[in-house]
Amino acid sequence: MTIGLGHYLTVSAILFTLGIFGIFLNRKNLIVILMSVELMLLSVNINLVAFSSFLNDLAGQVFTMLVLTVAAAEAAIGLAIVVVFYRNRRSIEVEDINQMRG
Amino acid sequence: MTALPALSLVLPEVLLTVGAMALLMIGVFKKKDSTSLLTGLAVLLMVAAGASLVLDPPAAGTAFGGLFVVNEFTSFAKLMTLLGAGIALVMINSWAHTEGIARFELPIVVVFATLGMLMMISANDFIALYVGLELQSLSLYVLAAFHRNNLRATEAGVKYFVLGALASGLLLYGSSLVYGFGGTTSFAGLATAMASAEAGNVGVIIGIVFVIAGLAFKVSAVPFHMWTPDVYEGAPTPITAFFSVAPKIAALSLFLSVLMGPFAPMVAEWRQVIVLIAALSMAWGAIAAINQRNIKRLMAYSSIGHVGYALVGLAAASTEGARGVMFYLFIYLFMNLGTFACILAMRVKGRAVEAIDDLSGMSKSNPGIAMALAILMFSMAGIPPMAGFLAKFYVFMAAVNANLVPLAVFGLLASAVGAFYYLRLIKIMYFDAPRDAFDKPDFSTRMVMAASASLMIVYFIVPADLVSEAASAAQALTGR
Amino acid sequence: MDGLLKEYLPILIFIGIAFGLALVIVVASLIAGPSRPDPEKTSVYECGFEAFDDSRGKFDVRFYLVSILFIIFDLEVAFLFPWAVSLGNIGLFGFWSMMLFLGVLTIGFIYEWKKGALEWE
Repeated sequence: MTIGLGHYLTVSAILFTLGIFGIFLNRKNLIVILMSVELMLLSVNINLVAFSSFLNDLAGQVFTMLVLTVAAAEAAIGLAIVVVFYRNRRSIEVEDINQMRG
Repeated sequence: MTALPALSLVLPEVLLTVGAMALLMIGVFKKKDSTSLLTGLAVLLMVAAGASLVLDPPAAGTAFGGLFVVNEFTSFAKLMTLLGAGIALVMINSWAHTEGIARFELPIVVVFATLGMLMMISANDFIALYVGLELQSLSLYVLAAFHRNNLRATEAGVKYFVLGALASGLLLYGSSLVYGFGGTTSFAGLATAMASAEAGNVGVIIGIVFVIAGLAFKVSAVPFHMWTPDVYEGAPTPITAFFSVAPKIAALSLFLSVLMGPFAPMVAEWRQVIVLIAALSMAWGAIAAINQRNIKRLMAYSSIGHVGYALVGLAAASTEGARGVMFYLFIYLFMNLGTFACILAMRVKGRAVEAIDDLSGMSKSNPGIAMALAILMFSMAGIPPMAGFLAKFYVFMAAVNANLVPLAVFGLLASAVGAFYYLRLIKIMYFDAPRDAFDKPDFSTRMVMAASASLMIVYFIVPADLVSEAASAAQALTGR
Repeated sequence: MDGLLKEYLPILIFIGIAFGLALVIVVASLIAGPSRPDPEKTSVYECGFEAFDDSRGKFDVRFYLVSILFIIFDLEVAFLFPWAVSLGNIGLFGFWSMMLFLGVLTIGFIYEWKKGALEWE
């Protein structure tokens, strides 16, 4: 069996879906949501690298580098926002994010 | 050796980048609070960037190896973004001082967000698009949670962050599929690839749908709107004003330049999706707003509706449609800034109020604000003689000419339903029993109110200049 | 078996040996080692005095701050490596582009330094 483009795309699609489900089905903790976001972005990286190698085109790998950096910045800002939220609410449970509804 | 990129094309962006870093250094080395000084300088930067676009319009062209495009369309969209950001910044500053949370980072984050928007508008490659979009989004998350001792503001920040990150993820996944199946990330290269026989490739179509979903999140179109009411309600009012104009203008321009640029040959595939989200946004924006008690939530639903109307122009997928969208955005910009200035003026004895019932009988206690708000509401509802009517007229006409008559009719119905809640506000202001009078708003707020209300009338009477500007922007976009 | 998977055979063998050896060592020490517990031996040991706190307690939020700052500046290396490798081909323009990038990072660094984000107290 050879491992072709299709396999990489499948793995990445599975991870991406896991990330989305992690955001929507997770009822516990905000940190888990941050990890899910990271999972989504990194699954895209698998896609990009696989395509890049398949197409023999470097643009995909350049894109990957930028995604990595942006993902780090996003995680940093996400953590910072979670910390200020924690200071006000004394909790980072998802069910405690309930001040506004409608 | 690579030649130096054409820096004259990126002058506004360079100004904002260098300027923002200089402001950061001034702010951090100054001992005293320098928010007002830095706000002044930041507004000056935006004015300079805008002036460089108006006085010395850059020749159309691309920079940075085709990553960055400049033409009349991008210049028009950038001008609108800079206007929105600059005016919002003035309101943010005076609010920050009244609330006592002025910190010098505030104007700098706004400048960075604006820079991200300009990069989005000029993006000519999925990599540039993503980086610009993220610069804008990350700055906006910070702004939403800027009032960091306030529970609602930080909660708005958390919600905005989580759903915004999800949207970026969708967009990114879509662009990775487009890259893989289209063979390149460059818009120009994709346009060539799409025009050839292998267009209609399922991989690319799935990619486009993901990209549309991500962008729909950013412009808060139904069914990706759920963050909007909470974020608008929780974030500080002038920052909500900023959220409701500048990012929408940038993201809708991006929507136009992605779908009508590289994916123009695939219009049959994406049009149905846009028609669907436009119709849903118009309908939900009108229906869900009826029961709102909080005026900022009401504005959130109103902006969802307006995005729907603007997307009608995109669904037309013609030069006329693009012209309609640009005209709509310009009118929407002032309509919204003016309304938010009125909301900012809702302070009773130094405390901000935001319930719709607080407007009761305002025509007697604050006739000036009531007058301005009434004009803006008429315009939002699309009732002549206000510019909001023309804005809707142009997008609906474009839709009719593109054989989308059902969508246009649906839009008319939705705006009739929407008119109900706008007119209800006017009824509350003019016919209900008066309550406590509002405090006298400060000079900048009054200026924004008066200017936007009068623009609504001015642009109804003499729209020709603006229409021709929008038309040449649209021509630059579609090349027709 | 296919060629690609065959390349990973040494890793499989390595994993097998590692697990096997670890298992053998743990089991051997369980069997061979004397075990005579008493309260003093099983209690938490902390430098000769009673434990102050649960060892699985929360830790300081300042660690987050430091790690956030670290992760951002850490990632510049991801750009520096490809730049360094291809420096010969990208010429002066490439060189100065990276200097500009590092300059922007330095501005950020000065900001966080002056803001006191690097002070522990």
